Amino acid sequence: MYLTLEKLTKTFPPRGGAGEVHAVKDADLQISQGELVTLLGPSGCGKTTTLRMIAGFEFPTSGRILLDGKEINTLPPNKRDMSMVFQSYAIFPHLNIFENIAYGLHVQRISKSEVERRVGAVLELVELTGYEKRAPNQLSGGQQQRVALARALVMEPKVLLMDEPLSNLDAKLRESMRTEIRRIQRSLGITSVYVTHDQIEAMTLSDRVVVMNKGLIEQVGSPVEVYRYPQTRFVADFIGRANFIDATVTRGLPGQLAVQVYGQTLHLSNVKEVYSEGARLILIARPEMILVNSQGELPGIVRRASYLGNMVDYDIEVGGQLISVVDTDPRHTAIHAEGAAVGVSLLADCVHVLPG
Amino acid sequence: MTDIPSGHKPEIPPGRSPVSRFAGLVHRYREFALISRDPVLFMSLLFCGLFLLVFVFFPLARAISSGFINKEGLFDLKYFARYFDSYYGPVMRQIFWNTIRMGVLSSVIGTLLGFVFAFAMVRCQIPGKRWVHLIAMVPTVSPPFAIALSTILLFGRNGLITKQLLGLNYNVYGMQGLVFVQVITFFTVSYLILRAMLERLNPAMEEAAESLGAGRFHVFRTIILPLLIPGLAGSVLLLFVESLADLGNPMFIAGNMTVLSTQIFLAVIGEYDYQKASALAFVLLVPTLFVFLVQRYYVNRRSYISVTGKPSGSAPVEKSRLIRWTCIAITYLGCIFIILLYATVVYSSFTSAWGVNYAPTLRWWNDALTRGVEAILDTTFLSALGTPVAALIGMVIAFLIVRKKFSGKEILDFGSNLGGAVPGTILGIGFILAFKKGRVVMASILYAILALFFIFFATPSRREQVIMLILGTGIGLAVHFLAPQLGLKPLMYTYSGIYLGLAVISLVRRRKLGFYTFLGIAAYSALFNLVDIIAVPIAVAGRNMERGFWSSALYQMADYIKVPFQLSPVLLGMALLFITALVVRSENSRLRLPLGVIALALPCVLFYHGMPLALTSTPYIILAAYIVRSLPASVRAGVAALQQIDPSIEEASQILGADAQYTFRKVTLPLILPALLAGLIFSFTRHMTSLSAIIFLVTARWRIVTASIMSDFEQVGLMGASAYSTIIIVLVLIAIGVINLITRRVLRGRGDVDISMGA
Ligand SMILES: Nc1ncnc2c1ncn2[C@@H]1O[C@H](COP(=O)(O)OP(=O)(O)O)[C@@H](O)[C@H]1O
Ligand SMILES: [Mg+2]
Repeated sequence: MYLTLEKLTKTFPPRGGAGEVHAVKDADLQISQGELVTLLGPSGCGKTTTLRMIAGFEFPTSGRILLDGKEINTLPPNKRDMSMVFQSYAIFPHLNIFENIAYGLHVQRISKSEVERRVGAVLELVELTGYEKRAPNQLSGGQQQRVALARALVMEPKVLLMDEPLSNLDAKLRESMRTEIRRIQRSLGITSVYVTHDQIEAMTLSDRVVVMNKGLIEQVGSPVEVYRYPQTRFVADFIGRANFIDATVTRGLPGQLAVQVYGQTLHLSNVKEVYSEGARLILIARPEMILVNSQGELPGIVRRASYLGNMVDYDIEVGGQLISVVDTDPRHTAIHAEGAAVGVSLLADCVHVLPG
Repeated sequence: MTDIPSGHKPEIPPGRSPVSRFAGLVHRYREFALISRDPVLFMSLLFCGLFLLVFVFFPLARAISSGFINKEGLFDLKYFARYFDSYYGPVMRQIFWNTIRMGVLSSVIGTLLGFVFAFAMVRCQIPGKRWVHLIAMVPTVSPPFAIALSTILLFGRNGLITKQLLGLNYNVYGMQGLVFVQVITFFTVSYLILRAMLERLNPAMEEAAESLGAGRFHVFRTIILPLLIPGLAGSVLLLFVESLADLGNPMFIAGNMTVLSTQIFLAVIGEYDYQKASALAFVLLVPTLFVFLVQRYYVNRRSYISVTGKPSGSAPVEKSRLIRWTCIAITYLGCIFIILLYATVVYSSFTSAWGVNYAPTLRWWNDALTRGVEAILDTTFLSALGTPVAALIGMVIAFLIVRKKFSGKEILDFGSNLGGAVPGTILGIGFILAFKKGRVVMASILYAILALFFIFFATPSRREQVIMLILGTGIGLAVHFLAPQLGLKPLMYTYSGIYLGLAVISLVRRRKLGFYTFLGIAAYSALFNLVDIIAVPIAVAGRNMERGFWSSALYQMADYIKVPFQLSPVLLGMALLFITALVVRSENSRLRLPLGVIALALPCVLFYHGMPLALTSTPYIILAAYIVRSLPASVRAGVAALQQIDPSIEEASQILGADAQYTFRKVTLPLILPALLAGLIFSFTRHMTSLSAIIFLVTARWRIVTASIMSDFEQVGLMGASAYSTIIIVLVLIAIGVINLITRRVLRGRGDVDISMGA
């Protein structure tokens, strides 16, 4: 593995009445070369702290960070051969765009012609050619963002770190910069760690997503894995929308799991795990994994219906529980009215199961 | 530059229960260990801490305590009791209440005037904004009695306006005149505070109130006023303190009335009674300190707008024409008055005899530039020399406060403000009392702190630390006691030789740092004596010339050349310990131990040489007083600048491969340069115009213009005093202009230095 975190822990000392803060607890993570991994989680869950430990700005309380097999715990940031894009961009306000991007190269005393070549190339990459002599405050937010990215990329770092680099941009720009970053990262094959609290950003960008909560890593997996097979309730809830439905096992053979849901029996043929009979489970059903018809397996009553154009968004009361359902079938032109009695069916081969 | 792990050992795992006191101690210790891994932080912290200890806390403690101790060294409340006895009581109480009355009147009226200025500037679209602002700033760059001077010239017994024009027999001396003068002198502070607040006031709130049907006055009473209360309160408090501390104006214009500051002055200069002076200083200090604390912990905390709001683009214009034009009229009137007062100062310096004969003459200027040239040069030289030091210390303290986490930050912050916040007379008394004779105990404390720093910093080995400390100190003390009469001159020659030897050893062993450092110290020690070779002929040449400007100037020049090279032994010893600790640390062979012992022993001798810390009558005591006085302004400038710099900018530099030094040189320094330059302006201005803090410290050899005017007023007269005041103002303005020019060149249009921050 290229970059490895082993039982990485950071505890901030108590300050001003508050007790110790366990910002990151026993984080284990392995990142291979050329991979883009996002750290995803709500604000305050320890993403930035993890990233800053990798960069060397924070010193781990315990645990190890390995780069290319060598421990780098005690290496100062300037010796780590990494680059970072900051949330605030952190562009040097007293230097022009060229000087900003060339800063790291000047530190390395690279020859003038080489500096010009590399800066020119990276400017082309981020489509800022011709802006060399501008002062940073003459650039728009998106352009400043690209300068920050260029300044990090020009170093050809071993690892590229990004801390919510798009959070200060407006929605439209964010979307285009997202694909831009992905394109550049792919074409250069740079190992990258990307921090965000925006699940869509994480899903569209990453090879793998690391979902964090309260300093702990909840799950590591590809976007498909964390969406379809969340390992914890938190992950299921944080990424996308999810219905949590209580169920009891009636037959627990692998591949032939049958559960009791709202008094009906459901056969979950795709679940590989073995459960003992009578065990309590939680079914995780995404809204689009539930079908709504006039006559489904489970009787329900429509409590809210919103027509969104590409889909209809329902809240349906089933067995005393409100369930979110979206109907994306374009052939369904009729909308079930609020108060209408409907039938609901779970797509048994899609729903995911967690022990209750 | 956050806590960068520089890398020896991993952090000690955190203690479990932070509640217990022990865990707190462990935390302190761990923090200490962490700090010591960041040598730059550690050394700057130690440096600033020692500076504040020696030149703020120590003298202030002396100034306070000696009010309670009589000549026999016994506890004594004699002078406090006088407030309550029937003989002295009435006069003492009268003076006290005079002082309070002066403070209240000046601060309230000054705040009102400041508010009108601020309101006119922000809300009334007053024509000529730039000029109004500049005129309002003038009182901050003039000597503390200039206004009193011109008020006497215009409204005094022979006043141009009262006597000549109106033919009145008006007596300006007394409370009225004093309050008038203080209001003009101090209102600028209030204007700046309130202007900043008004600019940050969000107009949306007023508009919201008005849209709800509230009338103008109602809006003012319910919205604007409550939001401005912290600013108004802060302004009144600050002005109150300034007014109480003021010595220059009351000396000139209080007439028969005495206030505390003049009473203290007379106790020192007239009665040589330091116990009385200290006791009175304590009385003066109590309200000052009270206000300082209220300001710090109450007003600052409540000033919600000043912290959160950004200056909004366009403040609304006051709708009522009556209010608008009243404010504008008062503001213009104020400006005219200020111009008139300063013009009078300049004009009178060119008149033969004010009130009698207005014929133009250069007599006073001639006098000032011949007889007074010594004082003018001394003042300028010491002010200029202290300026970079003050700005640098201010910047370092600001950096520590804004960017670093450590226990005792509050104390550092407090201490750096304290010296400038207490009335100057108190600081002056403290300096006299603290540094008038040898202070062996204080010197020992300083030595102990620095020696401990030295050994812990120089070597990680416990064994070497102990040996260094014992041997180094032992040898130092042995030399001191065996050769107690050793003069400083032969001593410095010897040192020069020893350090030269160390430099040669370093050269042989190819230690670049050691070689250059020791060579530098050797050269410096040699210059201690050799500087006379240059200085003496200059002095002789000066003496031999025809008496006049150039003769005095040359003679003084000889003294100035010596100042940087003939540092007092204790200060020299402190500097040596600091510098050589770095060299010894970088030496990691068996030589480190003997090197450490020598490098500790040599400064140790200096700490006990002669009368340690007896700084009175040296220029260093005036320098120190200057620096202490101007520190708050430069710290404030630095804090403001650093808070605007996103910390991740420095981190960005680091992750791009730059080490701490490169980052500082290429990123931090250019970004804080405007503040640094502003700090230079504030410091120089404050030095040139200070009076109360240095009036007790001047000697025949080191004269300061402001103090000379006060003490020689009988000889100099009003016109002479005006000439000197004009010279001070001109010098300050030149300095401001020069620094502004440099700034503009360096910053290439990244903005001007904002001189208002120093007020
Ligand atoms: N320097 C610090 N000192 C004390 N606590 C900190 C520090 N930095 C972060 N924390 C705390 O650590 C936790 C995680 O912070 P962070 O890593 O910034 O979260 P995220 O980036 O996921 O929003 C938070 O509770 C935060 O308050
Ligand atoms: Mg964060």
